[in-house]
Amino acid sequence: MGFDKALSALVFFPLAWGILGLFLPEKKHAWIKGWALLGAMAALVGSIYLYLQYDGGSAAEYQFTEAWTWIPAMGVRYLVGLDGISLWLVLLTTFFTPVVVLGSFNAVEKRFKEYYFLLLALETGMLGAFVSLDIFLFYLFWEAMLIPMYFLIGIWGGKERVYAATKFFLYTMVGSLLMLVAIFYLAVQHKTQFGEVSTALSDLVRVKLDGQGWWSTQSVLFLAFALAFSIKVPLFPFHTWLPDAHVQAPTAGSVILASILLKMGGYGLLRFAFPLFPQAVHQYQGIFLALGATAIVYGACVAMIQPDIKKLVAYSSVSHMGYVIVGLFSLNSLAVHGSVYQMLNHGISTGGLFLLVGMIYERRHTREITEYGGITKAVPLFAIAFLIITLSSVALPGTNGFIGEFLILLGTWQTAPWIAAISGLGVILGAVYMLWMFQRVMYGPIKHEENKNLKDLGFREVVVLLPLLFLVFFMGIKPGFFFQKMTPSIDRLMARVATSEPAAQTKEISQNGKRDQRPAS
Amino acid sequence: MENAIKDLPLDLTGLGPHGAVVAGALLATLLSAVRTKMNRWWVLWVGLATTAGGLVLSANGMFAPAKEMFNRMIVLDPYASFFNALFLAVAGLTMLSSVKYLDREELNFPEYTVLLLFSVIGMMFMVSAQDLIVFFVSLEIMSLSVYVLVGFRRADRKSNEAAMKYFILGGVASAVLLYGAALLYGATGSVQFKDIQNYALSHSGTAGAPTMDMIFVLGGWLVLAGFLFKVAAAPFHMWMPDVYEGAPSPITGFMTTGLKAASFAAFLRFIMGLGPAFEGKLHDLIWICAAITMVLGNVIALTQNNLKRLLAYSSISHTGYLLIGLLACAVPAQREAALSASMIYLVSYSVMNLGAFVLLGVISSKGDTGLMIHDVAGLSRRHPWLAFFLAVFLFSMAGIPPTAGFVSKYLVFYSAIQAGEISLVILAVLCSAMSVYYYLKVLVSMYMQEPVGTASKPAFGAGAMIVLVALVLLTLKWGVAPSPLVDLAKHAVVGL
Repeated sequence: MGFDKALSALVFFPLAWGILGLFLPEKKHAWIKGWALLGAMAALVGSIYLYLQYDGGSAAEYQFTEAWTWIPAMGVRYLVGLDGISLWLVLLTTFFTPVVVLGSFNAVEKRFKEYYFLLLALETGMLGAFVSLDIFLFYLFWEAMLIPMYFLIGIWGGKERVYAATKFFLYTMVGSLLMLVAIFYLAVQHKTQFGEVSTALSDLVRVKLDGQGWWSTQSVLFLAFALAFSIKVPLFPFHTWLPDAHVQAPTAGSVILASILLKMGGYGLLRFAFPLFPQAVHQYQGIFLALGATAIVYGACVAMIQPDIKKLVAYSSVSHMGYVIVGLFSLNSLAVHGSVYQMLNHGISTGGLFLLVGMIYERRHTREITEYGGITKAVPLFAIAFLIITLSSVALPGTNGFIGEFLILLGTWQTAPWIAAISGLGVILGAVYMLWMFQRVMYGPIKHEENKNLKDLGFREVVVLLPLLFLVFFMGIKPGFFFQKMTPSIDRLMARVATSEPAAQTKEISQNGKRDQRPAS
Repeated sequence: MENAIKDLPLDLTGLGPHGAVVAGALLATLLSAVRTKMNRWWVLWVGLATTAGGLVLSANGMFAPAKEMFNRMIVLDPYASFFNALFLAVAGLTMLSSVKYLDREELNFPEYTVLLLFSVIGMMFMVSAQDLIVFFVSLEIMSLSVYVLVGFRRADRKSNEAAMKYFILGGVASAVLLYGAALLYGATGSVQFKDIQNYALSHSGTAGAPTMDMIFVLGGWLVLAGFLFKVAAAPFHMWMPDVYEGAPSPITGFMTTGLKAASFAAFLRFIMGLGPAFEGKLHDLIWICAAITMVLGNVIALTQNNLKRLLAYSSISHTGYLLIGLLACAVPAQREAALSASMIYLVSYSVMNLGAFVLLGVISSKGDTGLMIHDVAGLSRRHPWLAFFLAVFLFSMAGIPPTAGFVSKYLVFYSAIQAGEISLVILAVLCSAMSVYYYLKVLVSMYMQEPVGTASKPAFGAGAMIVLVALVLLTLKWGVAPSPLVDLAKHAVVGL
């Protein structure tokens, strides 16, 4: 396993690097940018090292685990570890940070030091949330993450940035505070049942909670957790903060928000809500499937009529994240695989779209679809990149989007055919709004004089986009590469949810390896 | 009578911190009468040395066994020493941070330090009091000094108004409390907390037990009202915003931390012995008080544009959260956990509030003007460090990790859930979500708006800067590694 504090080192490295960066001279913009890029790249290299060290066939539930006493009086320990799900989300995070750092070189025009510091601090927050195995620790990172994001939107955002930043902060706060109460309740229950305080996830899953009926303990606690995570996803009808935040945020903020922060919701459901409240998950399955399907169709329909490209992409996020929810709540291995995959896909494709929108905005300072048209001739490279990412977003076979959505629909068909049918509509609608937008922006005659002399992508921008374009195809053609390390963890999790008696027998099941439903690689 | 004289303790060990502060206060008084140009500095040094010395002695007292003195009128236990250390630290930091402020306001009189020391003496005896008379006398020592300090800016109308208001309302509250104490004495024949608590326990009206005397109940209400006035819980909070606004900023900081902590500490000592007698009406009453205090404090704070008033209302809402801790303390099985949680809350609350008010003192213009929210617009450009400090304090007040405010809120709410106060905790977290909005308003102004007009020149002083840095570090330190503080508080409540 190598160096035993590798995971903590990875989590806290960006923050430490960012703090050091604050001591660079204010005037030397190039130094500051270089410093941030170097740090982000180093974190990426570190996470690739972890990936290589990660043993996909290991029987251990988590790897690279670290456990230190932290606040014994509160039963809080510093527990971190990686499994096959968080591994990929950690990689997604470390992958996107250098991308947005490089992508912001021209977009940010003021307060460089603070900007790059906040990006790196945000990376620490996100990594921490993905690797925490203690629910207090998770909550700490989950909330602390809001602070850098709030400032990123509020300081470097568009005209309505203050409104958007505040809305973003408050929405997330309300949800997470109710989750906090549920966490208290769980911890107290653990103390009553086992005689000691603990907030470790592995301890809390052993707590027996009444799960019969809508007003049972499990059901209420699950709702508190689910609210916090649904707001983050964001699931219809809790999505209204998202378009504001996305449109007002600077490009890097939108990319991070779409690619990583939204994943926090799906990840939280999978990591915490599912194993903690298995009975309630079954009880609420129908409701969440319906909400997910609604989000898919609703998001797509609203996206269709948006005059602003960024807003269109924001609503497409609502639609795409609806798939994640549908897949998760289908509660079968296939669909959950699809959901996790879809989380990664959505990161790549929506992140890519936001980057591209940011690039064209830097040139024309408008995001109105009607301001463009026919720009393929002026910016061919840009058009190619845009086309590839668009196709990935509409889930064309051969691109990453296809694998995720296909698996989700396939899995859901086995549990709830009707939901799968409605969700399938989303694929069609997705093609409609994306391709229609693409057509209006790219094809036809050039209607505006200014667009004739648009500059095509520069070298830096190509470097930013190339890894994304590569991943679009790689993830579309070789999904087995990703599933290989993911499957054992997902199966373990599904086994835990399937048994309504929490945890008691799950250990044996997970060791015997219930792997019949693994998707073909 | 002879017996009483024989019982007089000759062994005064344990009274070290009190003795040191009394001696320091008297010495400072003498020095302030000396008419030299330097006497202000002499007094300040005496004040700082006194608080530092007292702090060391109190820290020692933390690990000494509990000891009752003067016919059980006061008790010296780790609980008292814990709070003594807090009061002394708050007073010392207030003195250190106000040097430059007082220069700017042309208020550099030595009495400032002297009054702070006297007020601390009152607080120190108040947390040790086991007897309503001692309690009342020390409460008055504390309050009288603070009445003067609130009106310290003699030439300023607002300061005068605040002092007058505070004095009259505080006087009435004291009178009510004293009347209540007299009634309690009438009903029980004793002024000692223990006897009163025993009376309540044996007359709790449960099967077979006699019911309480009406006089006792009335006395209890009145004492309770006095307590609630001092901690500024709704509906006895009206005095607070005006007083906080009118008082010189460092004094506001001192009041919102030292005074509130002292009143809560004494309140907790009085209440926690009630045990099962707390259940029922008293519990419901404080429950309602806590709920109104939180909602009212937070809702009114939403509309405030003056930073001092905003923090005043936020302070009221924090009183509400603390009352939740107090409710949890009343459940005997949870007492130790809940009590230590409340103590930690008071400490971290003191750290962040003192910091915030010291900072307001630094950035305000002469006469404590220029503290509207739009006045701090663009502060992050002009003084990035000051803006960062204020941001840390505000995030801590909002209870967002990784700050001390989050850990202490976590502890208090956790202990309240353990005591079964689930609905109150849900209300409390919704209120804290609401509070985030007005804290963010200040941050928006500091970080996301451009400066308007000409900015005042901050009253930078070495003392204030040292204090601010220390408080910011503590806020962050206790946010990520609260263990030492938690252990200390746990130690202080063992055996209460």
